[in-house]
Amino acid sequence: MTRRLVLAPWTYSFIVALAMWIATTAYSGIGSAGSTLAAALAFGAFSVVIGTGQMLVIAAGSGNIDLSVPSVLTLAAYVSMAVMTGHDGMLVPGLVVALLVGAAAGALNFLAILLLRLPPIIATLAWSFVFQSFAFNLGGEATLKPPALLSAFTVWAPGGIEIMPLCVMGLTAAAVFVLRSTLWGRSLLASGQSEPAARLAGVRVWRVRLIAYAGCGTLAALTGFLLAGFSGGAALNMGDAYLLESIAVVVLGGTSVAGGRANAVGIWGAALFFNLMATMLNTFRIEAGIRLMLTGALIILIIAIVPKPRAA
Amino acid sequence: MNDHPFNRPTALGLALCASLTLGVAASNADDGIAKGDTSGKTIAFSNSYAGNSFRQVMIKSFESMAAQAVKDKLIAGSAVVSSNNSVTEQAAQIQNLILQGYSAIIVLAGSDTALNGAIKDACNAGIVVVAFASGVTEKCAYVVDYNLDSYAKAELDFVASKLGEKPLNILEIRGIAGDGFERRLHEGVEKMLKQHPAYKPVGQVYGQWTATVAQKEVAGILPSLPSIDAVLTQGGDGYGAAQAFKAAGRKLPIIIMGNREDELALWKQERDANGYETFSLGATPSVSQVAFWVAQQILAGKTVPKFVEVPLLQIYQPDLDAWLKTVPKGGVVNAEYPQDLVAKIIDANVDKQPLPSVSAPK
Repeated sequence: MTRRLVLAPWTYSFIVALAMWIATTAYSGIGSAGSTLAAALAFGAFSVVIGTGQMLVIAAGSGNIDLSVPSVLTLAAYVSMAVMTGHDGMLVPGLVVALLVGAAAGALNFLAILLLRLPPIIATLAWSFVFQSFAFNLGGEATLKPPALLSAFTVWAPGGIEIMPLCVMGLTAAAVFVLRSTLWGRSLLASGQSEPAARLAGVRVWRVRLIAYAGCGTLAALTGFLLAGFSGGAALNMGDAYLLESIAVVVLGGTSVAGGRANAVGIWGAALFFNLMATMLNTFRIEAGIRLMLTGALIILIIAIVPKPRAA
Repeated sequence: MNDHPFNRPTALGLALCASLTLGVAASNADDGIAKGDTSGKTIAFSNSYAGNSFRQVMIKSFESMAAQAVKDKLIAGSAVVSSNNSVTEQAAQIQNLILQGYSAIIVLAGSDTALNGAIKDACNAGIVVVAFASGVTEKCAYVVDYNLDSYAKAELDFVASKLGEKPLNILEIRGIAGDGFERRLHEGVEKMLKQHPAYKPVGQVYGQWTATVAQKEVAGILPSLPSIDAVLTQGGDGYGAAQAFKAAGRKLPIIIMGNREDELALWKQERDANGYETFSLGATPSVSQVAFWVAQQILAGKTVPKFVEVPLLQIYQPDLDAWLKTVPKGGVVNAEYPQDLVAKIIDANVDKQPLPSVSAPK
């Protein structure tokens, strides 16, 4: 067996993201390095929050996936903005309502999967239409404005340090801890690796997965809450970009699509990769058609160079 | 003024053509509204799709204007039928409207070509057909539409009026890559930029007509750009662009707004805080009213060209507050197109004069 330097799978997206950052900076001057990274961190943070939720579901294995995250995000943003009606004093109730909406949406997703025996891809897609309709009826075409305090928080950067991405890093750390060191986290990964084995070991698989779906919905709702603050309000199409992105950042981040293996830190690398790539392609002024092709090629390249885990 | 000579090319008519045309143009300029009796006429609206709020407002605008016209004894009645984005269904509906004997049919077509047969049948039955906001290719139909080149022209004209013809850095926010409407708007920008050789397009992003996407894309490209003097937009993206400039700690350039409530509110806020100046324009759902009056005016005997260009609704600094008051929270600016305004629009099209602008609400 030849010895070679093997990096953990999740490091590759960080490396490519770094390369893109350097390329963009080289093109547009060293002065832009800081602000390019700042923008990527701010927007990446949203992808990370929603991706972390998606990771919990995907890690639960056997085809679990949540396609309703964009509409849960939108619905939670609408409900919370409607509750707060722009008043700073209502910030905490607004957040709580958003999270409850998300948790309930996630639970509904899982109940459809469990009780109606629908494949997750169908159950969550069906619910996503329902959630989107709720949002439509609640706000229609109107953009509901956030309280000033929420907007201020999402862009708060004392001394150039962005607070919101820092908080999201804290969330990532919490996710790492939960997966590694809590009973539920270990049960989740065990269920993902082999459902019968987990069951024989006494894991109540359905309860573990219910929590995973509820957690995914909650994090999607949190993303909607923060995004509405950041971008000046809840709009019907605010979640659209996050359907594929929430899945892509999880997979590129080193989580196994088959379940049973999760990586929370890697999501950051993938999220930075996506944002810095968009910046780089915009900066190089590459045409839309070629841009999409390069995006696809780069994703395939990263997945191809990541060493595959050897079958046991 | 009953039949214009061009419509009945008799020998006498042809002989009188040259002299009469001048006379007709002059009488149009005096009072553009054709007064022919249309109190017995009926106008139907065949709409391809009613499933979004823009179309809902469009239908309501049509219905309210038609109801008023019935009350004023200008027409005898009207009807609206919508198909669910199915052109076969819409073609069948048009056939039904022909059988029901409508005097004029207004079509918002689900396809540029698939309805040509039905439209031709209507024309052959002596029915006036007015197609709007869609590129219907059947030659017998009158077409009412925007000219997308004038969108870019208005944007750049405003920039030129504020900053002059000196070297400027321009950022362009486009729509959804691959969309036909988007491409035509962008081609307009390219064409019009040639008339301002000093302006330099330094960047281009796809904002997908969505504030959040525009914000993200602009925030991503800003660090690599020099200072920006003006941002050309396509509507729905101005607010997001402004957020991105603010977050980057840059001074707001001229960001052309797209008549959305959030964009106008931001404009007002910046104007009150530091005298910010910009300009807003966009399409209006009530373009259905223009099609309605064009049909009524044809029935009343007015000379109408086969293509009637509709002015974009433009908002300038002094009228900002008046418009902002009329916009529903989170909505898009809409305006009424009364009969006299539409007559003026038709005349401007005939005389190749600048289109009249929609006046600000009182």
